[in-house]
Amino acid sequence: MSAPMKVGLVLSGGGAKGAYQVGVLRALRELGTRIDAVSGASIGALNGGILASSPSLDIAIERLESLWGRLADESPLSMKAPGYLALLAATGLRLQGAGALLGLVYAAKKVAGAFEYELPSWLDGLDDGLLDDQPLKQLMDEFLDSKQLATGMPLYVSLYRSNGGLRDLASAFMAELGLGDTPDSEFMHIQSLKEDQRKQVLLASAAIPLLFASRKHGEKRYSDGGQGGWQTMQGNTPITPLLEAGCNLVIVTHLSDGSPWSRQRFPDATILEIRPQQSLNRATGLMSGAQDLLGFDVDKIPTWIEQGYRDTLHCVGRVMEAQKSRNDLRASEAALAGMGAESARADRVLAEAMARLTKKS
Amino acid sequence: MTESMNESLAITPDSEICQILTCLPEKFVVDFANGIDVARERQRFMAKRDGFFARLYDGFTGQGDRNQAEINASLTDGVEGALSWLKDLSESLAKSNHAIVQVNARVNALKHDVATLVDFSIESRQAIDMLSQRLDERCDELDRNVARIDRLQQAHLHLDDVFGKWGAGRFNMFTLSGRCYVALEELRWGAFGDYCQTVSGRERQKQLERLANRAIIQMNKDAGISQGERIATRDRWLARPAGGVVAADGEDAIRYLGDWADPHSTPFAFAASQTPEELPLHLPRIIGAPRVTEAMISELFLEAS
Repeated sequence: MSAPMKVGLVLSGGGAKGAYQVGVLRALRELGTRIDAVSGASIGALNGGILASSPSLDIAIERLESLWGRLADESPLSMKAPGYLALLAATGLRLQGAGALLGLVYAAKKVAGAFEYELPSWLDGLDDGLLDDQPLKQLMDEFLDSKQLATGMPLYVSLYRSNGGLRDLASAFMAELGLGDTPDSEFMHIQSLKEDQRKQVLLASAAIPLLFASRKHGEKRYSDGGQGGWQTMQGNTPITPLLEAGCNLVIVTHLSDGSPWSRQRFPDATILEIRPQQSLNRATGLMSGAQDLLGFDVDKIPTWIEQGYRDTLHCVGRVMEAQKSRNDLRASEAALAGMGAESARADRVLAEAMARLTKKS
Repeated sequence: MTESMNESLAITPDSEICQILTCLPEKFVVDFANGIDVARERQRFMAKRDGFFARLYDGFTGQGDRNQAEINASLTDGVEGALSWLKDLSESLAKSNHAIVQVNARVNALKHDVATLVDFSIESRQAIDMLSQRLDERCDELDRNVARIDRLQQAHLHLDDVFGKWGAGRFNMFTLSGRCYVALEELRWGAFGDYCQTVSGRERQKQLERLANRAIIQMNKDAGISQGERIATRDRWLARPAGGVVAADGEDAIRYLGDWADPHSTPFAFAASQTPEELPLHLPRIIGAPRVTEAMISELFLEAS
């Protein structure tokens, strides 16, 4: 109770469901929580980057709400691609097979023109709009300031050492089936990197395999940090660097229903998990998971933000309610002990007075 | 968890609980309270995966077993947390009970002290009542003494006043014995007489002696005789003043004043006030000032009363 409080915040990966973390931060601010360090994987790394590069929690939340609001409001057609992918592409991450895709679109337009067949209009913009990354670069520059990041709160991101997109995916598939596990992700302290590497490493943590090429950092290639330690979510819920940094209370956010991440693996740590009180899934059907992962639209994002807010108030509030009753008990015991000492003094005074009284009488 | 339970447990930013978030919570409290949400979330997730393929998939991948193991671990942690809390509560309850015992002991001690104080208070009240009674008696006695002294003072002033007038010649219009009679009558009906009425025995005798002494001195002086010298009753004591103007009103007044006098029982007063032609048989024909004065004092202050 008397140890200085150092709070770490783990922002797990989960694509568009990362909006949930905006609600988490808003609730933590209202609960008066101070955040001393943050770690993130994938979308959590991006959110964490904005949090760490902001001068205060208020400004961080303001920026995140603005960013996610813009991602929600922008129509996918006007963006020419789902916002999240475009966002990553805009910051320099190369889309896997982009050249082939553009060639295919060009050929399809030629063939369709020859047969006087009209293709969907949004395809017209793909060849030039998708690579026109200026607006999105401005977006990133606006919300993620590398210089401020250097002096911000400690930020750790998980990176998965890539063995090539297909092999990475195969490893994850085998791990999902319980036939093996992916190697553990590595954790990098963003502030320890050179300025020009920070944003790239941050975004590499969010590079979805196959869609994006892995990033080279030093002699190694890295991709989405959420892939590491698949069965235990070691990479997707990067708590280890925060514990090593001395955090004595770690708040862990999950972006999936029934996350297999287990607090039992950290028996000495004080961990407060914020788990969804209702399903996070919005889409239904066979590809619902992928749809939610890339579901940056105006219908889903506000609901995830609201859910994150309510879940945090519920989960943290329950703990604090219990702690308050403990504190009240302790306070009442202390008051009782203090009163006991006071009563002993009063007893002595009374005894002396009575002795004088009986002596005189 | 049902919707209603969710509502009842809803925490808002205005809740009092939000004021204590700045202190580090205890690990077992976090594990205990947060474990409930963790276990519930996993249970909810598993409950939805009841389709055939989902169960097949969870069984094949081992995710179902892992989830169940996590739920079990959370519940075990919860039970451990409950045990810790129960232990703390029991210890706290023991402290509280011990404190209650101490409070009871103090209350009992206080009762004894209060009983002692009540005894003391009763004794004090009795002592105060007694003191008050004594004080009242003492004050009454003092009041009586003050009143007596006041009356004595008034009597002496009265005595001085009457003999002042007598010495100043205010009674010269009367016979010698008439002067004495008038002075004694004035004293008898004034403060001096009242004082003599209220006292008895030695004090009364003492005051009358004082009166007699002063009257004898004044009578000797007015008669121009020496101490112990006797003179004729008719010719001197009852003789009208020579050479002076005899006030008829004065004689009438004396006669009126002494109409109560009887020649047999109070011959001196009778003779002095009525100046009869024939003197009472018991009245001496030659007599000194002390005899006239003392006899008249006796008749006015002792026999008349």
